Amino acid sequence: MQNNNLSHEESLRLINTMISKAKDAYRDTGVGAMLWGAVIAICSLTRFAEIQFDFKLPFDINLLTLIALIPQIFITIREKKNRKAKSYDERFLDYIWLGFGISIFLLIHVVNLTFESWSPVSIEYAALAGHPSPFKFSEFVMPLFLILYGMPTFITGAACKVKPMLWGGLFCWLCSIITVYTEYKLDLLLTAMSALMAWFIPGLFLEREYRLAKKKETSPNV
Amino acid sequence: MFKELDPILHSQLRLAAISLLISVKEAEFTFIKEKTGATAGNLSVQLGKLKEAGYIDISKQFKDNYPLTLCRITKKGIDAFEQYVVALQSYMQPSDKNT
Repeated sequence: MQNNNLSHEESLRLINTMISKAKDAYRDTGVGAMLWGAVIAICSLTRFAEIQFDFKLPFDINLLTLIALIPQIFITIREKKNRKAKSYDERFLDYIWLGFGISIFLLIHVVNLTFESWSPVSIEYAALAGHPSPFKFSEFVMPLFLILYGMPTFITGAACKVKPMLWGGLFCWLCSIITVYTEYKLDLLLTAMSALMAWFIPGLFLEREYRLAKKKETSPNV
Repeated sequence: MFKELDPILHSQLRLAAISLLISVKEAEFTFIKEKTGATAGNLSVQLGKLKEAGYIDISKQFKDNYPLTLCRITKKGIDAFEQYVVALQSYMQPSDKNT
């Protein structure tokens, strides 16, 4: 590109071209979304299989979420390193997902504490009443997680104009309502579906978009 | 009346660079070079002119032991770009408005 003077039409065309080229600078690779979609789906489906086929793994499958943090850190570092331009909303979205991560771990802690407190009451109730308590706390755990899954997904989808992610966020919220009325086993299936809809499928979409943008980059400049 | 076009911005490479910088918070020199397809020398001169006019800030850092030049548009640059676009639009309006 030279530094020639331009006609008015050429100037406007150049501005449009450059603004759209800048958008490609902070395209998400979709790898992180695919990773978490797969991890949450695997955890939920494994728990479902444990209940359905009456077996128990020697470890808690949910620990996979902690292990997945390691590749996620590498993915984040690599993506930041390769990024040659910073967008205005990048920082904002980083904080949203960090807040989501912290909220999830706090929710797990609170749910575990509630289970610990509720279990003796439930046992005592069963002994006194002669039948198990009609209130099952486990029925209300998945909706809480699904409400939380929906929030950052919906915001990211709307802010970054990634429609599959926006719909994925809405799907999580829809499932959070359904899971209140379904048994725990089915809740796990709906959670796996939500993870695939909210992250894995949008991740595939983002990855495709990223590849196409990279391909376009190799085409001649204006 | 036609508005006068800012001569600093009314140049292909400088306009391309400022259009990129208006869309991002900050960008590396290599990013602008890649997107505009300009040579490093030419781009360096044109970015220098934008900096002289106070339209962009240029900072130099090190990344993995390599020098890294970061460019960021200033408030003055944003105002100048907006005025430039308004001026351009005045040229594109139907002639009855401008005569």
